[in-house]
Amino acid sequence: MRPILLAGHERALTQIRYNREGDLIFSVSKDQIICVWFSHNGERLGTYRGHQGAIWTIDVDPTSTILASGSADNTIRLWDVKTGKCLKTWDFPTAVKRVEFNEDGTKLLGVTEKRMGHMGTIVVLDIKVDVEAEQSDEKALTIVCEESKATVAGWSYLSKYIIAGHEDGSVSQYDGKTGDLIFNIPIHELNQQITDLQWSQDRTYFITASKDKTAKLITAKDLEVLKTYVADTPLNSAAITPKKDFVILGGGQAAMDVTTTSARQGKFEARFYHKIFEDEIGRVRGHFGPLNTVAADPTGKGYASGGEDGYVRVHHFDKGYFDFVYEVERERQNRLAAGNA
Amino acid sequence: MAAPRKHDWADDDELEETTADLPPIQKIENKDGTWTIIEYRYNDQGQKVKVTRRVRNVTRREVINPRVAERRTWKKFGDSANDPPGPNPNTTTVGENIIFTPSINWRKEAKNEANDPNAQAMKDKLRDKKVKCRICNGEHFTARCPYKDTMAPIGEAGAADVAAGMGDELAAPGAAAGAAGPGKKGSYVPPALRGDRAGAAGERMGGKYGERDDYATLRVTNVSEMAEEQELRDMFERFGRVTRVFLAKDRDTGLAKGFAFISYADRNDAVKACNKMDGFGFRHLILRVEFAKKAQ
Repeated sequence: MRPILLAGHERALTQIRYNREGDLIFSVSKDQIICVWFSHNGERLGTYRGHQGAIWTIDVDPTSTILASGSADNTIRLWDVKTGKCLKTWDFPTAVKRVEFNEDGTKLLGVTEKRMGHMGTIVVLDIKVDVEAEQSDEKALTIVCEESKATVAGWSYLSKYIIAGHEDGSVSQYDGKTGDLIFNIPIHELNQQITDLQWSQDRTYFITASKDKTAKLITAKDLEVLKTYVADTPLNSAAITPKKDFVILGGGQAAMDVTTTSARQGKFEARFYHKIFEDEIGRVRGHFGPLNTVAADPTGKGYASGGEDGYVRVHHFDKGYFDFVYEVERERQNRLAAGNA
Repeated sequence: MAAPRKHDWADDDELEETTADLPPIQKIENKDGTWTIIEYRYNDQGQKVKVTRRVRNVTRREVINPRVAERRTWKKFGDSANDPPGPNPNTTTVGENIIFTPSINWRKEAKNEANDPNAQAMKDKLRDKKVKCRICNGEHFTARCPYKDTMAPIGEAGAADVAAGMGDELAAPGAAAGAAGPGKKGSYVPPALRGDRAGAAGERMGGKYGERDDYATLRVTNVSEMAEEQELRDMFERFGRVTRVFLAKDRDTGLAKGFAFISYADRNDAVKACNKMDGFGFRHLILRVEFAKKAQ
């Protein structure tokens, strides 16, 4: 496969997201610009300017009409996807590290940083999925993380729970309506930060990536660890691929140590693991800095990765990717085919 | 002589023709549903060129979501507002080809690629070999044996006895060891006859190519002297993933020697390419493409 290199950013990438149909890619970086790209050929559709600090996070609603971004300038901004206009700005006391829409796009959660005497919080905002509508200033809900600050968070199926990953390696489940803490379970090693949390397509389970060099597949309902993927480097991001039962992990040693090692030792590769068998099945090279974020195309045709090197690489999988099955899987397919005949 | 533009009298005729109209484009429909398009144009040197193309129109239907189709018509905005349609080379480039096929034992394959395969094989063979003394069977080198001055090597002593028995005179043990003849360890065996040697695989000529899979490799002959590897790669990549292109070149002149090898990742692609490219006209020569035979 020939990756498409997107060089729209001048600093390290922080997050990439596909929209629901997988035709647009949104990328944000520390250079204060949001870019949107067509995934099929890498053409840039536009940029969204307005933030005054590094942008940490981005999300687009399921209809691809509005876009939310969270930045180190202590704001969450809402944008019109089509024109690049800023629709609304919410101010917070500290930086916003994560935003995510729920399944129907009517609620937006934001994770704020713990800093300068302010506790880390998770806030919920009610959103009207309409470019013309007036968005409310009020926060629908505020969850204060007293134990350890949240680093990532997301909405489960039916917006029933808010799942948060914490700096101390634990994962919490909050009620989606009241914000009450239901569980807090130490999942990853103590004090190894959870760096990413991405959902399966039906949002019944999710994958977390952590600095403790593992990624885990966890159910949303009772936070049961289903699978563990062990890597040899701290992980920054993990994604679940649709169509094929794989997961993609991205990582690499910390950015501050990068200059002291060669690209090969740095382990700047996207790692593919089989979702069910937990085996590592391949790696994709290309970045010359650690991977900060990976995102899987919801149509299953490809994936994109963003690195500390400022590049986004969009990959469209070859036939070999789709053909790969384990021997047991093939046997099962053959049996089923024989049974039908 | 100051001649800013080099002008050959032989070109005169053609230069005049530049102003003349070119023959119209001809379109002929062939029996098999393809079209032959013949057009004339001038190339960089101002020469008239006839271009004949055979085109087959294939309608491929792709169903895309209407919302996706609508989004593709959106106007660009922000920093891309002034970009022409299509990807802007300033922001979008295509990277080098990456080979990625998931596999359970990818790690082993990657390692073999990194190390010299022969060195690895040698290491594996030597892993459970122990040093054995030829004199006393102890675990040290023969040269370090404490009995090296007092005893004859094991096995050779017996041979020496036989030789002594058959011979007319009593031979010294040293001479007997020499007489023990070919097949014994000390004697010279030409490399070609060292069939059972562990290093046999490692000493073949052409090192790393020895392991190559000829199964999906094509041999292309009658290649133009001016050909470049990249051109061949471009031509042959149309049929599938090309893993290796080797174009034999003269070491002194850098000109191609007229043959090349193209390896595919997939045998089916190689078959397709073999059928399509055999007889293909390339730089005034007609290529001959066939499957490479295994080197004997």
